Amino acid sequence: MQPSAEHVHWLFATGFLILGLCLLGEAIVGSEVWRRRWWRAHLWPGILFLMGLLMWPVMTFYTNSTVHMLAHGSWAEVLTLAGGVELALVRGKLSSPWWRLTMALAFLVSGSGLLIHEQNGWLFQRSSFLHHLMGWTLVVGAVVPVARCIRPRSVAVGSTFALTVVVIAVYLYCDRDLAPVFGHLSPLAGVQHR
Amino acid sequence: MKPVALVVLAALAFPSAASAHATLQRTGPSFRERVQVAPRTVWLRFDQAVKPLPNSIVVYTSRGRIVSAPAHRGKDAYRVAAGLRSLAADAYTVRWHVISGDGHVVSGVYTFGVRTAAPPPTEAYGASGPTRAEHVVRWLYFVALALLVGGLGFRVLVLRAPLPPRADRRFYLVTGIGAVATLQVGIVAFLLRAEDALQLPFGRFLYGDLSPIAGGTRFGEAFIAMTLGFALVTALLFLSWLTDRTAFLWPAFLLGLGFASGLSLSGHSAADAGSSWKSELADWVHLSAACIWIGGLVQLALVVLPLAPAVRRTAFLRFSTVATVLIALLLAAGTYLSILRLPHLHDLWTTGYGHVLLVKLGLVALALAWGGLHRLIAVPAVARGGDGLFARLPRSVLGESLAGMAVLLAAAVLVDSRPPPRPVSPPPSASQPSR
Repeated sequence: MQPSAEHVHWLFATGFLILGLCLLGEAIVGSEVWRRRWWRAHLWPGILFLMGLLMWPVMTFYTNSTVHMLAHGSWAEVLTLAGGVELALVRGKLSSPWWRLTMALAFLVSGSGLLIHEQNGWLFQRSSFLHHLMGWTLVVGAVVPVARCIRPRSVAVGSTFALTVVVIAVYLYCDRDLAPVFGHLSPLAGVQHR
Repeated sequence: MKPVALVVLAALAFPSAASAHATLQRTGPSFRERVQVAPRTVWLRFDQAVKPLPNSIVVYTSRGRIVSAPAHRGKDAYRVAAGLRSLAADAYTVRWHVISGDGHVVSGVYTFGVRTAAPPPTEAYGASGPTRAEHVVRWLYFVALALLVGGLGFRVLVLRAPLPPRADRRFYLVTGIGAVATLQVGIVAFLLRAEDALQLPFGRFLYGDLSPIAGGTRFGEAFIAMTLGFALVTALLFLSWLTDRTAFLWPAFLLGLGFASGLSLSGHSAADAGSSWKSELADWVHLSAACIWIGGLVQLALVVLPLAPAVRRTAFLRFSTVATVLIALLLAAGTYLSILRLPHLHDLWTTGYGHVLLVKLGLVALALAWGGLHRLIAVPAVARGGDGLFARLPRSVLGESLAGMAVLLAAAVLVDSRPPPRPVSPPPSASQPSR
């Protein structure tokens, strides 16, 4: 008994939304204020690490094709790695700010995974369009974590980083068929497929 | 700009019926089903419309004879079906390919049996392997497991005292490499086994359906359990490093030992004739003892002896005691399993399995001789307080651990080899008087 793909996408979309909102909060009030409470300092890196761990069951249970299994596996690895590095930076186990480049690596690997596992054109269908959009957003957006390494106190860079994550959450909410939960919104949607 | 924005909005707003390439939802007969009445057709149902090809469904007998007619569209566009000849009692392999709604060819394989048990898809007609690459990958898996479980075991059983910062960092580095490698190599091993079953060129293998292998074989179930288990172990190891709390290492060690049993529950000791809970337990004890022994040697050679002078004497002497118990367990379990799999002594030199076992026994003898030298010469000298030996000991201990890793290579080939069939006890003769 597996949850449907829609629900899994929405679960991760919710995770990214919370992550993005936390990052936005930190960007607006500044890291010094945000990290006054120890739990708040650990909040978004912990969520990221947890999302990485939760991606492992997705890899092992959704094996309807090799390419999907590999894509989910690569996302599990980079999310866990990026979350782990951010936690280590917060705890002081790692000190060099260049470790934040693992976030850029996570963006690049996740974006490449999306683009490689979607082999249809942009307008083939909605999920193809969204996979391309998410893939290119992450690949191009990888410059934002790099900028965050160089200008860690910049409100503009911090906000852009947070909004990139929020945008990914919105894409993920839209990525799957809405029909099984909300009913068909349009006759164009065709026959319910699940 | 406006048309582009409209396209984007429309794409986001409208639900689409097809969300990815087609996924097989149901089949008749189903995966590994044993049917009493021979089916007249084989049908596949997908989650979206698919286009059948003439060879979309090919059904083979266990000897490779094709018993299916060309495939055609089923009741609706979601189904593909193929007629069957009259099937005798046998195991049958279904190899299928359809064109998905997105234009990709999706493929898969499964088995069913008519009045007989169906084999797992990894033993379907046309499946091959294990290959030399699989031997190497399995060996790497054993080494990774030894680094992880052995490293954790060393820290919780032998070395409970705090380590100097450099030694502590190296402990987490070596054990962490083991944790990451266990996950990565496990995925590669699973894909290689799936490739053996599916027999597809790389481009089509990317769209191959792995679910019958992941969910329908002991190997696949072990892969799922072990991947999730070792992801958890890796997280606990990370938390221990992050928080400087070695308390996380105990659950990591116990979980690591527990999930290592996946290999014992999916290998010869669980699946071959004559296997029982005793053979599974013996296999797990054999594997666990080997992992803790070899991983402990690596920790001793790379972490404690060169970087922790304050605790190296205690650690060396304590590990020597633990290793003696481990070797005793290893030999007892190994002897039991050898007798179980090779009922006759001459099987050792007349069968391929026996030849590999002989090579393994030779390497075990080498590793034991090396360990015996440490026990007889180094341990008394260290106990007497001779510090001069510590300069040469790391290299010698590393040598013993390398001999142990060579044993693991032989073990990897042995696991992939098939033991000789067990002799069948003759049925009681009709002329024999009943008692």
